[in-house]
Amino acid sequence: MNGYGFRHAARMERIKLTSVRSTWWLAVAAVVAMAGTGAGVGLGYRSHTPVATAAQILNNSLGGAIAAQLLLGALGVLIVTGEYGTGMIRSTLAAVPRRRTVLAAKVAVCGGAALTVGLLASFAGYLAGQLAIRGTAIPAASLGQPAILRAVLLTGVYLGATALIGVGIGTIVRHSGAAIGTLFGLMFVPMIVAGLFGESGIQVGRFVPLLMLLNSISVTAPIPGLFAGWVSALLMCGYAAVAVLCGGFLLRHRDA
Amino acid sequence: MIELRELTKRYGRRVAVDGLSVQVRPGVVTGFLGPNGSGKSTTMRMILGLDAPDHGQALIGGVPYAKVAWPLRTVGALLDAGAFHPGRSARAHLTALAASNDIPGARVEQVLRTVGLSGAATRRAGTYSLGMRQRLGVAVALLGDPGVLLLDEPVNGLDPEGIRWIRDLLRGLAAEGRTVFVSSHLIAEMALTADRLVVIGRGRLLAETTVAELSAGADSLEDAFFRITSQATDYRGVGAS
Repeated sequence: MNGYGFRHAARMERIKLTSVRSTWWLAVAAVVAMAGTGAGVGLGYRSHTPVATAAQILNNSLGGAIAAQLLLGALGVLIVTGEYGTGMIRSTLAAVPRRRTVLAAKVAVCGGAALTVGLLASFAGYLAGQLAIRGTAIPAASLGQPAILRAVLLTGVYLGATALIGVGIGTIVRHSGAAIGTLFGLMFVPMIVAGLFGESGIQVGRFVPLLMLLNSISVTAPIPGLFAGWVSALLMCGYAAVAVLCGGFLLRHRDA
Repeated sequence: MIELRELTKRYGRRVAVDGLSVQVRPGVVTGFLGPNGSGKSTTMRMILGLDAPDHGQALIGGVPYAKVAWPLRTVGALLDAGAFHPGRSARAHLTALAASNDIPGARVEQVLRTVGLSGAATRRAGTYSLGMRQRLGVAVALLGDPGVLLLDEPVNGLDPEGIRWIRDLLRGLAAEGRTVFVSSHLIAEMALTADRLVVIGRGRLLAETTVAELSAGADSLEDAFFRITSQATDYRGVGAS
């Protein structure tokens, strides 16, 4: 065998990710946030008149993704900035000097973990919402319906992409507080800006992550003017790719 | 064998390492001496590819560090004792690094025993004392059973027993034919540990010699050190009055 490769770096990253508590806290918090929101929404609709539709229940019970995206985004940031803050990065780069290999391993491991947790959280939100309306006149939203299943799956994909945007921003900024601040800013500020444009804001808004999540990805049908759910989800993956590529360029050329 | 060829690093207008050419040979402990801010740590970081030189190169057995097939099995480095995540246990830290270079898990337990951390291996490394952190750093350096060892101020924070342990460990590793390059600003300690000395000041090579040669013309090794670094010390205190 002629030297280490991606496989070895990925194994290192997997051990590193699972051996700090913050990973587990953030993952559990993301699932709990979505399940809690789903249950809350379901309970709220029980006494609602007129009787809510299945689509309404689903759209709203996935609302916990707003919190989950911040938690999983922070997870992605910390995978990188946690190393810069502690000096661990020097151990990592001494073990694997090819920096693009390190970043690729982080993207694969973090992306896989965040996608898994994101899907779990999304299903938890859906399930909690459905359980909370059991025995009422509100029609159940079955995962057998393509529109329902798609919304739940794409919400998970959105959450995984958010974590990778976090990895990219973390690699660019290198400081935990500044990187998490930047990520949160990028999530919320464009939405406020899009709002300033009034009616024509939708032209901009359909490219804004949070608006895509709430109006295109986590709903049974996108509101007029926004892209279809899968287009929005792909757009998020595109943002993540841009963030990671920028981070990779800087990682290669800066001193550690 | 470590070979530095006209190694140069600038930070803005300040030159941290200035055309440094040195060969560090196997089989002996080579001490790397210099006043504070003389460029010792920067040199070590460039050998490991953490900082890119502005000019010149650092080679390990003839190749730059980035081109080494199995870095941890070739060079073991202790740069600073804090190069770990405080929330991770010593065992997880070593296991992760071992995985990156395909080093078997049994070796992790072996180095934990060598440095005396077996009993504290499951504790989060952030709870360690300075001496224990230093031992964890040494464990990382030994992990890949490397032929080249690079240690930046390894005795910092160690108690007298720990200092003697490091000394014996380094001399033993050199006696096995390994290249051992140790920086320090503690001259007395270097006199006991090192055979050869590389002395730098303001990033430039001041002397490449042996301990015996350097201390021959002076009362002590310390006096000899002050004599050759007197023109190349940036930070010097004066007596309080």
